[in-house]
Amino acid sequence: MSSSDSGATPVRSGLTERRNRRSVGLGFFASELAVLFRRRRTWAMLLALAAVPILIAVAVRISSSGSSGRGPAFIDSITQNGLFVGVAGLTIAIPLFLPLTVGVVSGDSIAGEANTATLRYLLVSPVGRIRLLVVKYLAAAVFCLAATLTLSIAGILIGIALFPVGPVTLLSGDTVSIGDSLVRSLLIALYATVSLLGLSAIGLFISTLTDAPVGAMAATVVLSIVAQVLDSLSQTEWLHPWLFSHYWLNFADLLRQPIEWSSFGQNALLQLGYVFVFGALAYGRFSSKDILS
Amino acid sequence: MTTAVIASPSELAIKTDGLTKRFGRQTVVDDLALSVPRGSVFGFLGPNGSGKTTTIRMLLGLAQASAGDISVLGERMPQRLGGVLPRVGALIEGPGFYPFLSGSANLHRLDSADGFAPRGTRSERVAHALDRVGLSHAADKKVRAYSLGMKQRLGIANALLAPRDLIVLDEPTNGLDPQGTREVRSLIRSLADEGTTVFVSSHLLAEIEQMCTHAAVMRAGRLVAQGTLDELRSAGATRVSITTPDVEAATRVLLALGLDPGLPDATGPVAASVAGAASAGQPGTILSAALPEAVAPEDIVAKLVADGVRVRGFSVDHASLEDLFVALTGEGFDVVQ
Amino acid sequence: MPRTWHRWIPAAAAPVVVGAVVLGGVFAASASADPADKTPQQVLELAASSTVDTFSGTIEQSSNLGLPDASGLGGTGSSGSSNDGDLSSALELLTASHTLRVYVDGPTQSRVQILDDMAERDAIRNGDDLWLYDSKDASAVHSTVPADASGSTETPAEALTPAELATKFLDAVDPSTKVTVGDPVKVAGRSAYDLILTPDSSTTLVSRVDIAVDADTGLPLSVDVFAQGSSDPAFHVAFSSLSLDAPSADLFDFTPPSGTDVTEKALPNRADAPADGSAPDAGSHPEPTVTGTGWDTIVELPASGDATLPSDTSMLSQLTTPVEGGHVLQTTLLTVLITDDGRVLAGAVPVDSLLAAAAQ
Repeated sequence: MSSSDSGATPVRSGLTERRNRRSVGLGFFASELAVLFRRRRTWAMLLALAAVPILIAVAVRISSSGSSGRGPAFIDSITQNGLFVGVAGLTIAIPLFLPLTVGVVSGDSIAGEANTATLRYLLVSPVGRIRLLVVKYLAAAVFCLAATLTLSIAGILIGIALFPVGPVTLLSGDTVSIGDSLVRSLLIALYATVSLLGLSAIGLFISTLTDAPVGAMAATVVLSIVAQVLDSLSQTEWLHPWLFSHYWLNFADLLRQPIEWSSFGQNALLQLGYVFVFGALAYGRFSSKDILS
Repeated sequence: MTTAVIASPSELAIKTDGLTKRFGRQTVVDDLALSVPRGSVFGFLGPNGSGKTTTIRMLLGLAQASAGDISVLGERMPQRLGGVLPRVGALIEGPGFYPFLSGSANLHRLDSADGFAPRGTRSERVAHALDRVGLSHAADKKVRAYSLGMKQRLGIANALLAPRDLIVLDEPTNGLDPQGTREVRSLIRSLADEGTTVFVSSHLLAEIEQMCTHAAVMRAGRLVAQGTLDELRSAGATRVSITTPDVEAATRVLLALGLDPGLPDATGPVAASVAGAASAGQPGTILSAALPEAVAPEDIVAKLVADGVRVRGFSVDHASLEDLFVALTGEGFDVVQ
Repeated sequence: MPRTWHRWIPAAAAPVVVGAVVLGGVFAASASADPADKTPQQVLELAASSTVDTFSGTIEQSSNLGLPDASGLGGTGSSGSSNDGDLSSALELLTASHTLRVYVDGPTQSRVQILDDMAERDAIRNGDDLWLYDSKDASAVHSTVPADASGSTETPAEALTPAELATKFLDAVDPSTKVTVGDPVKVAGRSAYDLILTPDSSTTLVSRVDIAVDADTGLPLSVDVFAQGSSDPAFHVAFSSLSLDAPSADLFDFTPPSGTDVTEKALPNRADAPADGSAPDAGSHPEPTVTGTGWDTIVELPASGDATLPSDTSMLSQLTTPVEGGHVLQTTLLTVLITDDGRVLAGAVPVDSLLAAAAQ
């Protein structure tokens, strides 16, 4: 703690040229991503997701007694073509594992900062509350993409390692080349990413309600389960098209020939609606919330 | 008791008017009128729970005032928050960092959050701030491994990331050893020498007394005193203490002169409840009383001697700030150190 | 930083905007120039003269027949004997909701895809080849179309297209049917005449059939069958998108993927499905007898020892209610009577009519 100012002079001169205009926030977004992906928790979650297709592939390989007769038919077809493992992994992970990890990241977004007391320092920096919300949301969206890509790529790699690989049979019975099938795998990962955007927005909103990140995470995950339960009840049929989980498993439409884009579009519109509504709610809550943590 | 600091608004780093914060039915900050002159080292004193931190949160736009106006560095808050806060460095109620990042990475992140901070000089500024708080050696250590004192220093380093016009330090010496406390004090002095206004809150009187030019005292959400340290000191009563075995005679003399040794002084601004008036009547007891301005100390001695009171000791004491603050804030005041 | 209720404006506005976008889409779809007025006869002629044989589109089909969802009855498609499978898949087609994609290029090239969850059933006709493919069990059935039998190649899935279904109703228009034209409608973004067929019969279960006839081409775009006493269609099938461009030729070029069970099957000698809206009647091999006319038509399948409709399957016992002399499958549109001696009677009539017919 030297009080000598000898070292300070050049810094001060550099500092006095303060920007007149606030930067767009790419720097802070990069920093947010760095914080997200420097956490061991994030890597643990991605590893757990990668383990899903790996476990499926290994289990199928070990048992490999052919058709089990349960579960989606194409879990069986991974024995014929390893490129299906990624899709099979996504199918298994979409109802629970992916919402779980997305709930952790989005539920932690604001509440986690409040919990580590870093929220007040960010706000005093000043980060700007709306900017913080936007950056937090975008980081959660990047995590969604990372999660689904991790699953897909891990699945494809383990599939190549354990099973024969060749041209892929689509649901329509048509056969496409390996290159085409990889493009479709990427599209499916994108579809799953888009599917999770609404849940991320809900998590962000819940995260602004509390200083306890665990509570926000749990609430987000529970909501995703509730939505899926409601989606499976015929009594709530009128509600189904409005549930954010309604189109989650419709990525199968990308495995048809030709690709059925309508579910992609409907899903994207629905998720966009959720992002709008819950983004606005998060803004309403957070823009004037007293930060007392 | 409140001594107004006479200064025009532009010369005030912080000014609040009628600032009030209610949580539900509880009023935490009540009608606060703070005036912090630019260039001052301003001590913000009060017991724990007196509303200091809530006030600081409102000053920095973290919490919304229920009523009242705030201006910081001449700009209205929180309306002009985006323009004001880049010029303000703050340590608020303890440091807050990502434990899984190094000290230096933490500062990089907080600096990137400030959209006005130039990116080019970031590394240089982070290194300089760490150097200023003596953390250069631990820059790449994870904050998880920091001691409380190191975190506190890192928090101060964060406040120093950019040149600031105002630095707000809430309990800056919390968790620091005596050496660290001394370093913080000299840091604050050097900041003040650079022309930065420093607003330090503390529940420790000694800390404020040693480094501040101005102070304000909070009690239960209300501002009970404000001014330069000298103004505050002079607001305290001067007291005379007489050590004598002839208590009754001495008491008579004092009463005749208009001093009240046995009971709390009702005339002075400060209630004299501390010094041992209760022990009157014992040989060699100390009698103590507030000294009205009209009475000269030497007249008291002359009168005592003339009346045959045996005086073993006589002293005139200017009230310490401690007496003052205890008087202002009640017995619960924490006067450690 | 807004201090008061202002901050909630976006939160309040967002659902309104979302709602406006959703409803706005509906309004935009309904607001467009109406086609020129036509008499019912003109619309009938328009439909009859339709020459569209090249198109692709998506079809939404839903049923409210008062039946339990057959897909929940176990063993749709993937289980059991082929006969049981045929029955259950036919029932499934009738009772559940589906999305279909249809690609047609001329009379001999067509492809119908039933888009199931995580699966798909395809029916592809390419020249003389007819393929049925089911992704659930990776099975394919191949048949060769006899050169002169173009009319009998219809698969159950194909029968679900609005055009095919509407043709059946329109072919059956007779004096017992009142034909009117309602307000123009929009289907799949195209304006259409709303042809309303009302049975002039008191005994049929059908109260009304609405057929949307494309104003440009005369192609039927949607069919809604209403049961007596219900304002919601009991059976609904409509294009949700339609293109009149020729589909890609690749679509008709089907080769079963490796690993597929391919069965060669001769085309069954099928009769035309009854014209009473009962929809395709898959697997009805024996020659039926038809009694009654128009909307009151009753179709009777003689007992044949054929296992197509074993009355003791658990599925049937779940669906039917016993009556004197047999079991009855009652839906809002169609009644099926399975007599104890194995005959099957069906018609869009109340059960009493079937019992009377069975007694004859």
